[in-house]
Amino acid sequence: MAFSLKLELPSHPQVLSVVRSAVQQFAIVVGFNEEECRSIILAVDEALANIIRHAYDNRYDQTIELTCRRLGPDLGTDPGTPLEQVCDGLEFVIMDHGRPATPEQMKGRDLDDVRPGGLGIHLMCQTMDQVSYEPRPDCNQLRLIKLLKRKTQ
Amino acid sequence: MQISTRQSGTFTIVDVVGDIDLYNSPEIRKVLLEHIRDKKVPRIIINLKEVRYIDSSGVASLVEGLKISRNMSSRFMLYGLSPAAREVLELSRLIKVFEVYENEEQAVAAK
Repeated sequence: MAFSLKLELPSHPQVLSVVRSAVQQFAIVVGFNEEECRSIILAVDEALANIIRHAYDNRYDQTIELTCRRLGPDLGTDPGTPLEQVCDGLEFVIMDHGRPATPEQMKGRDLDDVRPGGLGIHLMCQTMDQVSYEPRPDCNQLRLIKLLKRKTQ
Repeated sequence: MQISTRQSGTFTIVDVVGDIDLYNSPEIRKVLLEHIRDKKVPRIIINLKEVRYIDSSGVASLVEGLKISRNMSSRFMLYGLSPAAREVLELSRLIKVFEVYENEEQAVAAK
């Protein structure tokens, strides 16, 4: 059974609250606790906000594709297995067609410099287990992974 | 998100209700600058107890408010941080930069 959610979003900040709600429900179903859900929501929200602001320069009529996928074995092979025993995390793949981020932008900034802005990438890296960015010829792709840390039976 | 302001003695209290994100953080920035820079209020307290979520753009608005307050020699305080708001400020290493209180009574009573 495929267990993924694909959203095609306008690059408008108003959709962020909708995405947060969807991501929260997805993360709850996968089995993340409250604190982990908050981390996941923050990372995905920051990723989308960065695309709107930097890749699309606040142009609100562009497109962002967000795919959320549950990691782990094929859930269809053994329908009787409890979900919490087979899943091991969540993957988000976010694609845009805007200006690629520079390596400097993906590095984040010095946090000792107290000033507004530039925190998004730092928050993503702090809250997720894996953050990878790949500018491709046809799109930019950001991949975020959060693993479930609980022991399975 | 809804923002309203009220006066408690010499304190101006900004009550924020709802999520603060890229969509509405310009609104909170505008209210903060209006009171700190234009009205030159001596003490401003941001009530975040009804804020379930704040992103980096919201944090940036608070940092800007704090920096302008310092320039204006006014006082800038926060109270009622939700777990999400506290986590974002901790991850940004900004929690110690702000004056943070549990509730309004503590903020108003702070020396």
